Amino acid sequence: MIEPRTTLDPILLTVIANRLEGVTREMGAGMLRSSRSPIFAENKDFVTAVFDRRLRLVAQTAYIPVLMGASPFAVKAVSDHFGDDVEPGDVMILNDPYRGNNHAPDISVLKPVFFQGQLRFWVLSRGHHADIGGGGAAGRNPHAATAWEEGLRIPPAKLYRGGVYNRDVWEIILLNVRLRALVEGDLQCQVGACNVGDRALGQMLERYGRESVDRAIDEVLDRSEAQMRERIAVVPDGVYHASRQLDHLLEDGDAGRRPAIRLRVQVEGEGLHVDFTGSDPQIPVYYNSSYANTVSSCYIGLFSTIAPDVAVNEGAMRPVSVTAPEGTLVNPREGAPTTQCTVATCATIVEAVWMALSEAMPQRAQAAWARTNAGAGTALNRRTGRPGAFILHFAKGGGGATHGFDGWSHISPVSSMGGSRVPDPELYELTFPHRILQYEYRPDSAGAGEWRGGYGAVFALRFNEEGTALSVQTAMVPRGAAPWDETEGHL
Amino acid sequence: MTSSGGYQLVMSDSRDRYLVGVDVGGTFIDLMVSGSRHRLLRKTLSDPTDRAGALLAGLELVAEELGLSLREFLQRTDRIIHGSTIATNALLTRGGARTALLTTAGFRDVLNMRRGVRSDLYDPKQAPPDPLIPRQRIHPIAERVNGDGAVLEAVDEESVKQAVAAVRRSGVESVAVGFLFSFANDAHERAVGERLRAALPDVHVSLSSEVLPEVRLYERLSTTAVNAYVTPVLADYLESLERRLADKGFRGRLLVMQSSGGVMGLAPAARFGVRSILSGPAAGPVAGLWYAGLHGITDAITTDMGGTSFDVCLANRGEVEVTKEMEIAGHRIALPMVAVHTIGAGGGSIVSVDGRGLLRVGPESAGATPGPVCYGRGGTQPTVTDADLLIGYLSAERFWGGRLRLDEEAAQEAFRRQVAGPLGMDVVRAAYGAYQVVNASMVDAIREVSVRRGHDPRRFVLVAAGGAGPIHACAIARELDIGLILVPREASVMCAAGQLLSDLRHDFVKSCVMSLERLDRHTVEAHYRDLRQAAEDALLGEGVPRARIALSCAADVRYVGQFSEVEVPVTGTELTEDAVAGVARDFHRIHEMLNGYSMPEAAAEIVNLRVVGRGLADAAPMPARSGDGGASLTGRRNAFFDDGFIEVPVHDGHRLAAGENVRGPAIVEQETTTVVLPPGFQLACDACGNYLVHPDTHSVQESLERLRPAASASPGST
Repeated sequence: MIEPRTTLDPILLTVIANRLEGVTREMGAGMLRSSRSPIFAENKDFVTAVFDRRLRLVAQTAYIPVLMGASPFAVKAVSDHFGDDVEPGDVMILNDPYRGNNHAPDISVLKPVFFQGQLRFWVLSRGHHADIGGGGAAGRNPHAATAWEEGLRIPPAKLYRGGVYNRDVWEIILLNVRLRALVEGDLQCQVGACNVGDRALGQMLERYGRESVDRAIDEVLDRSEAQMRERIAVVPDGVYHASRQLDHLLEDGDAGRRPAIRLRVQVEGEGLHVDFTGSDPQIPVYYNSSYANTVSSCYIGLFSTIAPDVAVNEGAMRPVSVTAPEGTLVNPREGAPTTQCTVATCATIVEAVWMALSEAMPQRAQAAWARTNAGAGTALNRRTGRPGAFILHFAKGGGGATHGFDGWSHISPVSSMGGSRVPDPELYELTFPHRILQYEYRPDSAGAGEWRGGYGAVFALRFNEEGTALSVQTAMVPRGAAPWDETEGHL
Repeated sequence: MTSSGGYQLVMSDSRDRYLVGVDVGGTFIDLMVSGSRHRLLRKTLSDPTDRAGALLAGLELVAEELGLSLREFLQRTDRIIHGSTIATNALLTRGGARTALLTTAGFRDVLNMRRGVRSDLYDPKQAPPDPLIPRQRIHPIAERVNGDGAVLEAVDEESVKQAVAAVRRSGVESVAVGFLFSFANDAHERAVGERLRAALPDVHVSLSSEVLPEVRLYERLSTTAVNAYVTPVLADYLESLERRLADKGFRGRLLVMQSSGGVMGLAPAARFGVRSILSGPAAGPVAGLWYAGLHGITDAITTDMGGTSFDVCLANRGEVEVTKEMEIAGHRIALPMVAVHTIGAGGGSIVSVDGRGLLRVGPESAGATPGPVCYGRGGTQPTVTDADLLIGYLSAERFWGGRLRLDEEAAQEAFRRQVAGPLGMDVVRAAYGAYQVVNASMVDAIREVSVRRGHDPRRFVLVAAGGAGPIHACAIARELDIGLILVPREASVMCAAGQLLSDLRHDFVKSCVMSLERLDRHTVEAHYRDLRQAAEDALLGEGVPRARIALSCAADVRYVGQFSEVEVPVTGTELTEDAVAGVARDFHRIHEMLNGYSMPEAAAEIVNLRVVGRGLADAAPMPARSGDGGASLTGRRNAFFDDGFIEVPVHDGHRLAAGENVRGPAIVEQETTTVVLPPGFQLACDACGNYLVHPDTHSVQESLERLRPAASASPGST
C-alpha cells in the first residue's frame, strides 16, 4: 500500500490522469479516421503521446509499443535542438534514427503546447509513412549498407513556425519521396493530431488550473514508479544472461554465422539494469537497432513479463536502465542502416529479455513469437491511375505460449504486441493491381506442447500488371523458444 | 417482484386503444403502456427459461391495473414494440445456434484471424479467443468474384456438395455464407444459399451480401457469423411470442427495435437477428430526444445509469448518433448501431483501492446478486449504492418503495474495512470520494461522446435516466458546465418508453465515387431520387401513411485517397451549385473539427449517397400531470455535500404538481428513482411530470431558452 504523499485531492488526481490518457486517444482517433495511406488507418502503425514541459512521458496510446518507448528520445532531441526557439504555433518534425527516432520511415511530428504564454506540454504523433525516398520500395531497402541508402533523414525542423506554414521544409521532404500525395496527406494528418492534443490540453488546463495539473502529473509518475519498483522487487535478485541470434546470415569471413545480441539483466532490489555488453558489432545490413529502439524493446520485454497493468510513462521507466556499447547491433554508430530494427531486431531483443527473465521467474516464461511479417512495396494501379504503398502485414506468424496459456494464432508481432491491424484483403485488391490467392492458417504450423504456440498464416499473391516494386525478407520463424530448446514457439 | 410507477389507477373504457413498449432485459422486463388518456409503466422480473411467458404475465398485470382481462387488453392494443437483450445475451453466454461458415477457398480463417489484433497488449496470460465458429465447421468453396463484380471462377459444385454433407453431418443449426466481394456481386452467395435451403430446410441461412453488403471481408464475415449465431434464438422467441399473443387475442402489429434506433417488422427481425443485438439500450436515446423535444430542444445527451452500467449517447440537431465501430464480447459487428457508449459504472459498481493507492470504482459490479452490501443478500464488497446510502442520498427505509430495507451498518463496515481504512480517510469522506470518482468516470464517458467527437456538452440538455442516474446527474452536470438536466417521468423504464417513440426506419445507400469539384449534379440528383423512392416504397409497404414519412439525405465525403469518410448532410431536393459548394464547405469544416486539420486545396470526392427513410412514430400523447395536490414534503434527512452533512427536505415526487419548484439542497424521491439536488440547483416539475433541474443562477425558462435551436447559431462547433 502506498501512502498518499501530497495533499492533492485523490479524486482530482484520478480525473486528471484519466483525462491525459483521453487526450492521446482523441489524437489517435483523428489519425485512424483521416490518413491517406492504409498504414495509419488500417494498420494503426502509429502512436500518440503527451509529454510535460520537463519532457517526461505522461500519457500515451500504444498501438505500437516499440514506437512508444522510443518517443522520449525524439522529444528530447527536438527540445535540445531548438532550445529557446520554441513558440506557440510551432510544429516540429524529425525522423533521424540517430536523433531520437527508431528508424527513418517512422516520422515524428511534435507540437509544443502553450498555456497563458508558457510552454506546458509537448504532444507527439509518430507514424509509419508510405515512402521516405531512398533506394528501396516504401522506405525499405534491404540492399542498403548505410543510412543514406535507406532514405531521407530529417533532423529536427519546423513544419510550422509560429503557426505559419514553413514551405521550404515541406518542399525538401516532398521532393525526396515518390509518393508525394500520400506523405503530404499523412504529415497533415499528424499535424492535425497534434492540434487536437493542443486544444484538448488547453481546455484541461483551463478547467483544472496549472498547479493542480502539475501536481497530478508528478503524483501519477511517482506512483507508477513505485508500482514498477514493487514489481521489480518481486523478481529474485541476480544476474541473468541471454543470447539470441538475428535471422541473417553473415558473409565473407563470418560466412554462415548469424549475428548475436547478448545481454545480462541485473536485478537488485527495486532496480533493474539491462547490459548489452558482448553483443556483436554493427553490420552493414538494415538490422541495426538505434539506441532508442533498443531501449524501447527492453521495455516491451519487461512490461509484458512483470508489469502488464502498469501505465507506460516516465515514472515507470525510472527504475530501469540500459547500457548498450556504441558500435554494436544495439547502438550503432551514426550511418549504419536501421530499417528492420522496429520489427525483427526488436523481436530478437524482446526474446533475449524474456529468456533472461525466464530464468528468474519460470512461471512467467514466454516463448518467442514469429519475428516479423514479410515485405513492403509500392504499386501503380492503372485502373485508378494512383500509386500506392503497402506493407504486407498479412503473413502474420503465431504468438508464443506462456506457462498455462497457448500462443495466439496470426498475431501482430512483438513490436506491436498484437496492436497493429492487418489490412482488409478486399480494400487491398481494390487499391493495388494484385490478386490475393490464399490468406489462411498454415496447417500444423503451431508448435506442439502442453501449451502450444499459435498458427502462422500463409499468404500468396499474384501481380496482375507491371508497376509493382517489392522488397521482401525471408527467414521469419525464430528458432529456439523458451524454454529455449531449439523448437518453435511452444512450451 | 414488480412495481408500478405509482400512477393513479384509471379504469379503461371501451374506446381506449393502446400501444405497448417492451424492453426485455436479463433481470427485468420493463413495460410502458400508452393509452389515449393515460400511461402505465411496470417493471417485472424476467424469466430466462420462459421469456415470452414472463412477458405475458407482465402484460396481464398491466391489464389488471386497467381493469381488463389480458384478452380485452390485447384486443385493444394496436402495436407492441419490442426491444431486448436476448441476442446480446446469446452472444455473451455463448448460448447461440451451432453454426457453420461457407467461405471462399483460400480464405478459410479470415474470420478467426481477427485482423491479427488483441486488445490487451502486454498481458502474457491471455487465452486466445474461443472462436464462434471453429475451423472444422468452416468449409471452403472454390469460387471467385473480383472487386468489379466480374466472375473469375464459377462456384465449384463438388466443394458445395462436400460442404452440404459436412453441415448435415455435424448437426449444424445455422449456416453463414460469406464470399469475397459478394457486395459487388451476390450471385454466388445466393446460389449456394439456395442449395443449402433446398438440401437442409431446417437450417437457418445467413448471406453476407444480405446481412452487410459492404467492403471489408473480416467485418462482413464477423457480422454475418454473429447473425447466423443469434438469429435462430431470437426467431424462435419471436415466433413463440407472436403465437402466444395471437392466442390471447392480439391482432395488432408486433414490431422489433433495431440497434440502429429504428423499428422493423417481424419478418426481417426473424432473419436478421444481428440487427437487434442492442435493441434494448438503443431505444434510450430516442426517448431522451423525445423528452427534450417536449421542450423544443433538439440537442440531448441521454444517460442511463442502472445496476451495472452507465450508457451514454448523444443526439445532435434531432439526430441520434450512430456508429459502425461496435464490438460485442470480442465479436465485431459492423452494422450501424446507436452509438451508445457503455462503461462499467452503475449502482452495483464495486469500490476498491488499487495498487497505486488510488480509489477505484468499477468496472466490476456486484450486479443484482449478490448486490450491494446494504441489500443484505450476501454482497461483501462496497458499491456505489452503498456509498449513496452512506452519504444520505438514498433512504434506508424507502428504497424501492420500502420493499427492501437497506442495511446501513453493513455498508459502513464494508467501507471502513475496504476503502476508508486503506486510504486513511473517514467512512463518509471515502463514500463521498467514491461518489465523486464514479461521477468522474461518467463525466469522462460523456466527454467521449461529446468533446471527442467535436461537440460542446454545454449545448446539450442532460437527460438523466435509470434508477441511479438522477442521484448523480447534478454533480455530473456541474462538472461539465451543463445548464439543464431533464429527468423523465419514466426515468426507470426509459428504454421501454423509447420503444413507443421510435420511428420505423430504413437506410438506403448508393456507392457513387465522384469528384466533388467536378460533380455530375444530374446523376447525383437522379440517385437521390431513386433512393428516396425506394425508402418511400418500403415505408408505404409497411402501412405508413405518406404524411408520416420523412426522408433525409447525406453524402459520405473524403479527401481523395483517404480510407474513411465524413458524413455531410445534404439538404434541399435540388442540388444547385451553391448547395454543392455548401457540402464542400461543411466537409472541410467537419473534417477540421474532427481531425484537427483540413486541406481546402486538396481534391475531395463523394463516395456514398445516403437516404434515411423514417415512418414517424405517432407522437404518443403525454397525459398531463394530475398530481394529487397534497403537500409533497415528507420529511428531512442528512445528506452530504462537499463540506459536510446538511439537513435537507425530502419530497415525494408523485405529489409534486405541474409547475411546482423544489430548491436545493433537497431530495425528491419516487419509487424507483431518487433525484439529489445539491445546493445551488433547483427542480421544476413540468406539465407532464418530468423534472427540469438547473442551477439556480438562471430561471428554468432561461435555461431552456439557451438550449433551443434558435439560441445556438453555430452548428456543431466547440
